[in-house]
Amino acid sequence: MAAAGTCGTGTRSTGSMVAAASTNNVTSFQRRGPRASGADSGCSRLVSIAGTRPSVRNGQLLVSTGLPALDQLLGGGLAVGTVLLIEEDKYNIYSPLLFKYFLAEGIVSGHALLVASAKEDPADILQKLPAPLIDDSYKKECDEDVCSHKMEPDIKMKIAWRYQLLPKMEAGPVSSSRFGHYYDISKRIPQELIETSKWHGFFLPEKISSAFNVESCSLTPGYMKLLQFIQNIIYKEGFDGSNPQKKQKNILRIGIQNLGSPLWGDDICCTENCDTSHSLTKFLYILRGLLRTSLSACIITMPTHLIQNKAVIARVTNLSDTVVGLESFIGSEKETNPLYKDYHGLIHIRQIPRLNNLIYDISDVKDLAFKLKKKLFTIEVREFLCLSSQS
Amino acid sequence: VTPSEGVRRGTGRILGMLESLLALGGLVLLRDSVEWEGRSLLKALVKKSALCGEQVHVLGCEVSEEEFREGFDSSINNRLVYHDLFRDPLSWSKPGKALPGGPLEALRALDKRTGSGPATIALDSLSWLLHHLPCPILCQTLHALSRQDSCPGDTLPGEQVRVLGLLHEELHGPGPLGALSSLAQTEVTLSGTMGQASAHILYRRPRQRPTLQTQWFSILPDFSLELQVEPLLESQPPSDLHTPSVDPTTHLTFNLHLSKKEREAKDSLTLPFQFSSEKQQALLRPGLGQATSHIFYEPDAYDDLDQEDPDDDLDV
Repeated sequence: MAAAGTCGTGTRSTGSMVAAASTNNVTSFQRRGPRASGADSGCSRLVSIAGTRPSVRNGQLLVSTGLPALDQLLGGGLAVGTVLLIEEDKYNIYSPLLFKYFLAEGIVSGHALLVASAKEDPADILQKLPAPLIDDSYKKECDEDVCSHKMEPDIKMKIAWRYQLLPKMEAGPVSSSRFGHYYDISKRIPQELIETSKWHGFFLPEKISSAFNVESCSLTPGYMKLLQFIQNIIYKEGFDGSNPQKKQKNILRIGIQNLGSPLWGDDICCTENCDTSHSLTKFLYILRGLLRTSLSACIITMPTHLIQNKAVIARVTNLSDTVVGLESFIGSEKETNPLYKDYHGLIHIRQIPRLNNLIYDISDVKDLAFKLKKKLFTIEVREFLCLSSQS
Repeated sequence: VTPSEGVRRGTGRILGMLESLLALGGLVLLRDSVEWEGRSLLKALVKKSALCGEQVHVLGCEVSEEEFREGFDSSINNRLVYHDLFRDPLSWSKPGKALPGGPLEALRALDKRTGSGPATIALDSLSWLLHHLPCPILCQTLHALSRQDSCPGDTLPGEQVRVLGLLHEELHGPGPLGALSSLAQTEVTLSGTMGQASAHILYRRPRQRPTLQTQWFSILPDFSLELQVEPLLESQPPSDLHTPSVDPTTHLTFNLHLSKKEREAKDSLTLPFQFSSEKQQALLRPGLGQATSHIFYEPDAYDDLDQEDPDDDLDV
């Protein structure tokens, strides 16, 4: 970015410099006149787009994943230009929730959306997004939960007197112009929000022609078409800076559902030594290249429990930036285990990227569990009860 | 998952099992094995949907048409539309009765044929289709078949297309089995003990937690279903839950419980960071009559008492 361009402090002295130059005519250095500032605010080096904020650690531009708890675990949010891979749970109940949170956050922040799926029509997916919560209703939800939760007799916390005067940290929702919102899963997103948003859908059965001619390229035809579609949208809408005369910069949020499942035409879940074993890894590589050169962020859900070749899972993890795995307790022996009775599953943060950094941004807590309440999806630190209560 | 024991309620649930299998719609996967065959259950389901007045299409690959129609009475046989792939799978005979184009074309023809109204498609064997078609293409075609709903969102259960697929699970590895299971809305695994067949049914309702049910049944010669009571197992494995639980709070080297006096003493203790009137006094009037700390200093021979000039002891 042109850091030497017109700077805010420079414009103040521009007038004086020009005046001095005209009177003295000694120097041949001419300051550029203040250019007609469009959307390009040359004052700050960081682009100011709605729904984003710079990371406090490395200055990377971050977008929210839709779940403020997950944002915190990932170090503030998802960096623009990276891929968030969600390893699906066994019966695919909780990973669509994270997918929907991501898309709903995009709609509320005013970002453009690209939804790709081989199973469901993208228009249907958008209809089922959760409704955003405004400030007061979230407070009510929290209070309801607190009251219904069985609490021990209230032991008043003794705070050191120097801290009693400090204002309490509010972790509640903020107004819609800020970063990270809360959603109500039991309600659907209002129709007018979807209509005012800009979204593009990719539904594989419609895009693939019925003639199944086997092409000899290394990528599965479904993946090839999806990559072309994404590239087309990025170029046409100017997310990679190719159309500078366009309107204000915006982020493109890409959501790809069930990548790698047989519905995409990939047989990586069916056999162990498949012919097109490199198709998925190539797709991820090219996708990441597309993302790095544009203002976009991508979420992918993948049924890794179906992939037969474990080496492929390791390759896929290395090719993605952030990897979060969901493990639900349904059907396993953990469901009846008293240690896990408060939760519905575990969350494993498998990988966090090192972007312009030498160290990882890992949070201290590794023992995380999630719970799907009636209206919220919460991630909590799993409290380990060492002593089993007799009552 | 709440495994429920075999139904003991009796005749009220006889229709329940078949109807509940058909009610969900989508792909119903019947996994059988050599010991517990599933074709009779498939035929029972076909008969049930034919009796409900629906269109039934059967794609027969493994057994001949006569053998499949055996046991059905004429009313059901008239409702059945049979597509025969058994007689001439590679369509060597010129366009006659056999379907051209192989199994894939046959499946796609089924897709177009079921235009209106609820329909049931029975695939006599998904195993046969898996051996002749690549797994992803079969999955995509099955998905297109079972997605016949034109209206988005919640469709009426009666309007859906049901695809019943028979799968011999011993013939395939975990890959195709897992792939087809993830597509199926209902999955029935047949097993049994001591001559009594049982079905472990997994229902995957949309947006709800999957439920697992176990039912013991037998199929009568006219392909109607009769529910059975779960046979008593002779040898129950000793359950591990009856081991006496050890109380970990005994034999500790520290005190976990406070007596009443101890609790009172603890509550009345003023912690150093708590604000109290004594602290306030001490802060406002520092050192007045209350020397809280003393410093005892005995200078050595080499100590410099003069604070001003630190280099006094140097002989410069």
